Amino acid sequence: MAISNDEVRLMIEASLPGATVEVVDETGTQDHLRATVAAPQFEGLSRIEQHKLVKQAVQTRFDDGSIHALSIKTSVPE
Amino acid sequence: MEPTLKDKVEELIRENPVLLFMKGTPEQPQCGFSMRVVQVLENYGVEYGAVDVLPALQPLREVTAEISDWQTFPQLYVNGELVGGADIVEEMYESGELAEALGIEQPESTLQAAPPAQSPPLQIE
Repeated sequence: MAISNDEVRLMIEASLPGATVEVVDETGTQDHLRATVAAPQFEGLSRIEQHKLVKQAVQTRFDDGSIHALSIKTSVPE
Repeated sequence: MEPTLKDKVEELIRENPVLLFMKGTPEQPQCGFSMRVVQVLENYGVEYGAVDVLPALQPLREVTAEISDWQTFPQLYVNGELVGGADIVEEMYESGELAEALGIEQPESTLQAAPPAQSPPLQIE
């Protein structure tokens, strides 16, 4: 089971409105992804809390095995 | 009553100002992500406790999910708080935030290994 970069991006964008999201496939197998997310919702949160928000957005696809690994890089937009 | 695994984990987190849950040991990490966090800590030269999660991976996932809402390893705790896994630790290392959280000076050196020792100049007689 694999998932498209776009599907992951849309899930994160839906969960964090106004976020800028980039998703790349790290291994060419569509199950180890890297997401770079800049979201206004991150303001004032610790890194771990920011990462939790991104993970929660795609949790269902972790649970069903579509994603094995998601590297996350977060920032607050300037 | 026997302490539960959760009690034991909470006690470890409380009693070790810097505590790493990892796959394998600092000497022999069994996962690249765990190894990256060990490298950061070693580079800081801080004292830290390390717990190998592999002997009880699934129970520890469940316990840390309950305590910190996080169930992948490695997990680095500083002063009782979950800081993060390898991605966050490296990002905070590079930005200097982790040194701040640890209450130490950001070292000058980077994560790269020490530069190769200068070989003696070669001479052709």
